[in-house]
Amino acid sequence: MSQFNFAKASATLQDLRKTGERKSALVVSLGETIITKGHANKLGDEVWSMYEQVFIAALDLRSNSLAKTCLEKLETRFPGSPRVKILQGMELEAEGKLDIAIELYKNILEEDETNVAATKRMIASSKAKGQWQEAIDSLSKYLDTYYNDTEAWLELSALYLQQHLYQQARFCLEEVILLQPQNHLYHLKYAEILYTSDNIALALREFCRVVELCDDYLRGLYGIKLCTQRLLNLETASNSSQQTSAKPPTSTSAVSPISGYDVKTLYDLNALATERILHAYSRQRESGDDLKVFIKEWLQVL
Amino acid sequence: MSSSSPTLGRILCTLGFLLLIHSSYSTYEHLSYLKVVEKVEKDLPLDVTIETLVSVAIFSIGIVLLASPLKEILMKTEMAKQTIEKIDTRPSFITFDHRGRILTPEE
Repeated sequence: MSQFNFAKASATLQDLRKTGERKSALVVSLGETIITKGHANKLGDEVWSMYEQVFIAALDLRSNSLAKTCLEKLETRFPGSPRVKILQGMELEAEGKLDIAIELYKNILEEDETNVAATKRMIASSKAKGQWQEAIDSLSKYLDTYYNDTEAWLELSALYLQQHLYQQARFCLEEVILLQPQNHLYHLKYAEILYTSDNIALALREFCRVVELCDDYLRGLYGIKLCTQRLLNLETASNSSQQTSAKPPTSTSAVSPISGYDVKTLYDLNALATERILHAYSRQRESGDDLKVFIKEWLQVL
Repeated sequence: MSSSSPTLGRILCTLGFLLLIHSSYSTYEHLSYLKVVEKVEKDLPLDVTIETLVSVAIFSIGIVLLASPLKEILMKTEMAKQTIEKIDTRPSFITFDHRGRILTPEE
């Protein structure tokens, strides 16, 4: 890089540490420049968190020399620290020596039973070994004690989704929503699990909640459109089957026996979602006109 | 403008700070003078009062210029900026059995 803006780089690294995003290529390129060009002493006490962050990113990209440099610096500064031992375990995991890593984590847990990071790394190692049932069991046991750990509930939900156990995944997402009810993205995930496991009525409620929490969130609007369309199709299918039977046809203002919503509400929601989606696309000036025409046609057909 | 505001802010804050120090020292000097002369005066001399108020005003302007941009008060606007990558990462549970370790050359 011709112009290396140190302040901007360290600010970016700090932001990535806060959000926990896994942008390993970016972290390695910034961290490498900071470490090799000797800017590291400008950071003060932050430098140790930076070494940890760059170490993990280097393991992701197999930059072994960079990883070793970071680990050595941390080992000299914090000898015998359990946190550094966890990093050593991660290095073993990255090299594929999962059993040795699990032994290391067991030793850490023998010395200190409450070490949360070691428990979590053991679960991740069982996951890497492909032992799904063990990972799910140990994670459930961990969550019995630490039931307000959002990250762990999300991980358990992901494990269940991999095994297509949608009931259990749904339960985990409900716990997450209990912990952070304002986050529309958790509601979105919950809604999509419900839609996948065919609970369309409840999925519609959750998609509406997503759009309520975050105005005009496109993925939520699409969810509303899909749900209302399916419920209306079910409605017309049941109506046509009822007409062939002796029962009189139900009026459109009656509550639908299938979804529990009345048909007028479903039509209105459908129209509203279409209108908001089209409005969102009309704001962007970069997309070509043929794309807009295509989307409009697709929305009519949907 | 946005890049010069912090430096201008820093200059104004330093200036305001110096004025405040100077006015507080003048007050101390004035009170010790009154003790020596054994006069009882209720108010501070006018120039010290003006100097204090001016230093507060300059300090306020400096702080406003120096402070980083304020975040929105509504949680809704902060949440709208969140992406799925930021909230669904689970960094304590990451595994390394992905293609990044196979596709990148070993260094």
